[in-house]
Amino acid sequence: MPKKLKEVLADAGVSMDFEVGGHAPKNLVDREVKKEAHPRVQKLRDIFMQTLSSANNEFPYWYTREYFQHDNEIPVVRRAMALKAAFSHTTPVIFPGELLVMHKAPFFRGSFPMPWLSEGFYMAKEDELYQDALKRGSTSVDEHSKFGQGGGNVVKSFGKVVSIAGKFGMRQEEIPGLLEVARMWVGKSVDDLGHKYETMVPGYETKEAIMRNIVCMFDSGYTLPQGREVINYYYPLHLGFDGIINLAKEMKAKVAGRADGDGLTGMNRLYNYEAVILATEGLQAWVRNYAKEARRLESIEKEAVQKAEYKGIAERLEWLEHNPPRTFIEAFQMIETMHLAVLNEDAISGMSPGRIGQVLFPWFDQDIKAGRITEDEVIELLELDRVVKTSIDCFASMGVVGGVLSGNTFNTVSCAGLQKNGNHACNRLEYLLLEAGIRNVMPQSTLAVIYDEKLPEDYLLLAMECIKTGGGYPAFMNNQVAMEFLKHHYGPEGMDIEDARAWAIGGCLETSGCTWKPITLNATTYWIPGGAGQPTSVGVHFISMPKILELTLWDGVDQRTGERVFKAHGKKLATFDELFDQFKLYWQEAVHVLDLTNNIQHDIWRKNNMAVINSYMKPDCLDKGHLINELGYRYNATYNVESAGTITTINSMAALKKIVYDDKKVSLDEYRTALKDNFGFKTAKEVNSFSLADQEKREDGPGKWDKLHFMALQAPKYGNDDKYVDNILLDWENFFCKDCYNYESLNAKPLYACQISVSTHGAMGSATIATADGRLAGTTFADASLSAFPGTDRNGPYALLNSAAIWDHSMSQNSQLNIKIHPSAIQGDEGARKLLDLTQAYMRKGGFHVQYNIVDSKVLKDAQKNPQNYRDLMVRVAGFTQYWVEIGKPVQDELIARTEYEGV
Amino acid sequence: MEMLHHRDCRNFAPVDVAKGICHRTKNMVPADGDRCEECVATPKCRGCRNFTADAKRVELGVCEASTATPKFFAYPDMVALTCEMFREQ
Repeated sequence: MPKKLKEVLADAGVSMDFEVGGHAPKNLVDREVKKEAHPRVQKLRDIFMQTLSSANNEFPYWYTREYFQHDNEIPVVRRAMALKAAFSHTTPVIFPGELLVMHKAPFFRGSFPMPWLSEGFYMAKEDELYQDALKRGSTSVDEHSKFGQGGGNVVKSFGKVVSIAGKFGMRQEEIPGLLEVARMWVGKSVDDLGHKYETMVPGYETKEAIMRNIVCMFDSGYTLPQGREVINYYYPLHLGFDGIINLAKEMKAKVAGRADGDGLTGMNRLYNYEAVILATEGLQAWVRNYAKEARRLESIEKEAVQKAEYKGIAERLEWLEHNPPRTFIEAFQMIETMHLAVLNEDAISGMSPGRIGQVLFPWFDQDIKAGRITEDEVIELLELDRVVKTSIDCFASMGVVGGVLSGNTFNTVSCAGLQKNGNHACNRLEYLLLEAGIRNVMPQSTLAVIYDEKLPEDYLLLAMECIKTGGGYPAFMNNQVAMEFLKHHYGPEGMDIEDARAWAIGGCLETSGCTWKPITLNATTYWIPGGAGQPTSVGVHFISMPKILELTLWDGVDQRTGERVFKAHGKKLATFDELFDQFKLYWQEAVHVLDLTNNIQHDIWRKNNMAVINSYMKPDCLDKGHLINELGYRYNATYNVESAGTITTINSMAALKKIVYDDKKVSLDEYRTALKDNFGFKTAKEVNSFSLADQEKREDGPGKWDKLHFMALQAPKYGNDDKYVDNILLDWENFFCKDCYNYESLNAKPLYACQISVSTHGAMGSATIATADGRLAGTTFADASLSAFPGTDRNGPYALLNSAAIWDHSMSQNSQLNIKIHPSAIQGDEGARKLLDLTQAYMRKGGFHVQYNIVDSKVLKDAQKNPQNYRDLMVRVAGFTQYWVEIGKPVQDELIARTEYEGV
Repeated sequence: MEMLHHRDCRNFAPVDVAKGICHRTKNMVPADGDRCEECVATPKCRGCRNFTADAKRVELGVCEASTATPKFFAYPDMVALTCEMFREQ
């Protein structure tokens, strides 16, 4: 039998089942904290568990039909007309037991394609358009992206259901219509038009080579042009739809025919306000259709309680069609409606509701005081919101939704933080938010605690209890570090200390600029936070650092494909500094060309496909009369450079430094040969698996590379408080974070560093040959940006924290550290206290983010063997939580292999 | 109007592409399951007087109410509940 990687690693003392701080009990240990959700919530959750991701053609049909009827209209007005038609014609569907209603599409877990962004990828493979798309580098990543085979994913066609992108089911009857609509967008979509113009960028062939060889994960402008940001519900809550329309009408009268000193865009304000009115009218029709459906259901319902609930839903929607909310449940319904509206306006992953515990507090406060609602009823609504958010799908390609996002849509709710006046923001509703997260454990909204030393201890201990559910939330984000980043980055746009305090997480862990707005309710004024910045995670999407190192070692040639990506550098790489310097030069070349091409894609997007609804909700668009495309947002310096595979690269650099340059045990040529030969292992393709656990040694005699592989595995590894390797990380971060400021976004603002992996460590790993740290070809990179590679953090959690905090995290939009802890390690009050101590220690060292997977690795192994028994098992993948059965096997393997801490 | 399956019924709340909840019985029913006696037809393009089937491609047709030139396409299975141009045959 060929030796498995697991055995080779064990021989080298790097066990894949590595346990630190003791040994886990032999029996399977479940999570400590378990509470029941309300019965209504359990019923709806049960429906969700049986639900397939479903898509239809309704929204695209009406959007396209209207759009092409107005080809001489001003682009923003034309877009708003199309949106109005699409929202007005979306079929309402309400399920028994729902209190917070409305859905993206007429399914429980529905979505739809947006061919105006990209029309090629869901065409049938034999279709000529798809063949054309295949020639483009951007489709390469689909081949390296794997969805989980269970849960709601429609991985195969069945009956009259067609599987699209291995994820979405669409009725066979809809496919001809979908293709008909798609063909109308050929040459006109953001993808196609962007492609036409990006080819004019000097060095474009390098960009194509970068995409084909998966040096970069995906283009930004036509895949997910918005998202990773915080929505702002203020205007709908404050003014209602009629109020917004009236405001826009008043402003139209003020600006019509006037440039007001702005000869370039001043006149556009008239058209923008017209678009605001049209889009809002579409939303009113959407709400009205739902209200009618609720009335119809009321009329046919025989059961008294359900009948009354339909009546209540109808009354709320009829009121909200025109007016701002009066009560907590009306306010909640309004923010659900607006959230779904924005997600229907554009392909978005990571539209975060923000700090809803503070946004909804005015209505909560007054309803509780007036006895209009009980805390238990509030918790039930918060639990229901978790069903709504978990049911949100984003229709995009397999490479994007599977390879990057693992099917998640990142509707992260931020908790706590500070108020405008600097006091902590832990109001009573914030406690109930955590309580709902404990009772209804579902992937969304994942929770992010904005940690500050001012937060009360009982709140922090409640957060620890929430973590013990194993739901993978709340994550902890460092308030002071984020505020430092924000003040530095958005200072030139006028961000002050008060606005910095309003920040929240957009997406999984993207620090996003926000602001405060006053809500006056029954003569009491509350300041509520909400998003005020552009999407924070657009720009250069996920550059694979290990791949850049591979290209550096091989003079610009990809060793998996044999294709030249960069021009030959021709250097001998005789010193470690020469190696590292060349690595940085290739990195810069990649960022440079990707910045230019993505700028063009986003420019096409903002010219033809600009946000109207999401845009007017954010300060200061309605005040200025400019939408996102004319920098109407308060903060516009939001484009970034995303890295992937940081720790795999740092460990590889350390191994090369140690073995080749310092100790001179092996020449660089010999090392290269070993990497190319995959350290004597079969290729992932040969074993037909990209999973860590499945890799096998070749049976062709004594292992030629055994000794070097052993040395590589034994070389200094990040996560052990070892300065030899940690200083390489420090050097990289000091370069990377500052280098981002050398590039300019289409908004004429500098870029910044974003360090999250999402699921790219799986997909990008599968396209990368062996790395110098001993990792084998095709297997996952270390997850996140600061998690240790599985089994290599051997000196306990505090050593890992020291390694992670060696650099100044406020230079970056974020950093990401995930730690897996066995449930028995944090049991009881004492365990909770220890977990809090660990968290606070990291925050005090200046770490930005830490998150815990509280799970017994044996449970994960059993779940992999018997997925049918684990439909509701959740794990923290990177900056998000997902159902185990909806994650691809390579990432599952990596989760199993992560070091398990038995004590903290 | 042709109406054979649960998914053609007004009281079918589609959970997904394969199944839905019947508002009458509160039961989960297959989308392609046979309709019951109490079924109420959901308006669809194929039942609209403004819909003309394509002679060559049965899965597609034309919406005669379209004001575009040429008239915009439609398809028989499309739900027309919110369509202001729907005219029942």
